[in-house]
Amino acid sequence: MAEQPNARWPGLVGTVASIAGLGIAGYLTYEHYTGSSSLVCSDKGIVNCLEVTTSTYSKVAGVPVAVLGLIFFVVMLILQLPAMWNRPGSAIRRVRMAWAVVGLGTVVYLLYAELFKIDAICLWCTAVHVLTFVAFVSTVFATVSTFPLDDDLDMAHREEAA
Amino acid sequence: MSKNQQNQRSNPKRRGAPQPAPNRSPAGRKYAQRQATKQQAALAARRARNRQVGIGSIVLVVVIVVTLVVIKVAGGGGSSNGSFSPAAGTPIPASITTKLTSIPLTTLVAAPTSGLIRSPQAIKDPRLNASGKPDLLYIGAEYCPICATERWAMYVALSKFGTFSPQPGRIHSAVRDGDIETLTFYKTTYSSPYFTFTPVETTTNQPEGNYYVALQTPTAAQQKLWNANENPATFPWLDFGGKAELISAQYDPAQLEGVSFDNIASDIGNNSTAVGADVDASAKVLIQTICSTLTADKPAAVCSAVGNG
Repeated sequence: MAEQPNARWPGLVGTVASIAGLGIAGYLTYEHYTGSSSLVCSDKGIVNCLEVTTSTYSKVAGVPVAVLGLIFFVVMLILQLPAMWNRPGSAIRRVRMAWAVVGLGTVVYLLYAELFKIDAICLWCTAVHVLTFVAFVSTVFATVSTFPLDDDLDMAHREEAA
Repeated sequence: MSKNQQNQRSNPKRRGAPQPAPNRSPAGRKYAQRQATKQQAALAARRARNRQVGIGSIVLVVVIVVTLVVIKVAGGGGSSNGSFSPAAGTPIPASITTKLTSIPLTTLVAAPTSGLIRSPQAIKDPRLNASGKPDLLYIGAEYCPICATERWAMYVALSKFGTFSPQPGRIHSAVRDGDIETLTFYKTTYSSPYFTFTPVETTTNQPEGNYYVALQTPTAAQQKLWNANENPATFPWLDFGGKAELISAQYDPAQLEGVSFDNIASDIGNNSTAVGADVDASAKVLIQTICSTLTADKPAAVCSAVGNG
């Protein structure tokens, strides 16, 4: 007997993480376009948000990373809504999983840039990274632990036939 | 009841739930039960593998992050240029300084000037002298990407009239300001029989608040001249003995963005590259200006070779 879906917890965790990430990314975007004049963060030593948010690594192909973060969390918020988790079919799950992987890959790249290129850590950025990781973990566990995907069923049928 | 639950119940075959048992014989029912059990076992195995893959991916991410942090804490794997440079820069290999100070004049003369966007302009300020010689005053900053751009040409040009000791160090403009690889004249001494060279690097490339850590302060006389130029108190600024001034880089700093120090050094002297052509042409113009404003066309071998532009 296939397990019944339990879409509440992943939806809640992912939604909360996305809302929080959206808030921070929005704040960083605001600071980006206002000259970072009111960025609440240390500006000396290893923890130096200004150094990170105004570095050459703060843009990708001319687009501010803060804006990319904003876009990421808007899309992730939509994908994490409980209603989206309750949608049947595997397409939405694939998209959500792929989006979470894209986000986490970007986090790893930005962490590398902070540690080895900029030599500074931005605490706001770190908070965004943690939230992206939380969304990723939530997505992974929820995807593999709720009701089986159609592909799982197909695979199970094939294994059964074999 | 959620939609997927409804879907699952309305389409049980698709969702993998066992088929409702039709009217079957006892043997048929046993067969159906065995099939359902097999299917459940296969499904459970598949889902167990999914969990392992999921957990494995999370562990992989954690391992990558921890590895990055450990490498950083252990001091390894740093970037080649770091976020901040020592104010005097890091030593440049002799092979590179020798090459840059030996670019043939014929190469500089042959450089196309089509990429230049600015050139020194004549001014009529009081004569600027130091130690009894005409003075070339340079005011810039190590964070400044435009200064970083012009220093390459300055180094090539100045090497035709004298020598640096020690040689300039390697730096880069601030990471948040282009991160352009270049060299610095801070803590260098320039000796020439024709003129003096006075470099003033006002800041390092290390951010402090919304600006940068201060390094050198222009004298009151230098500040006064600097404030009076066409583009007051901006970087870079070169005053050729009070006879000419250059108020910015001669070519586009974007040419050097993302180009490594070694590649820039390699391109200089090669007019078939964009970077090489722009630096060589800029150096040629600087030499022409120095000849006409500071050295009275000496040495002749240099000044006659580059002509008057």
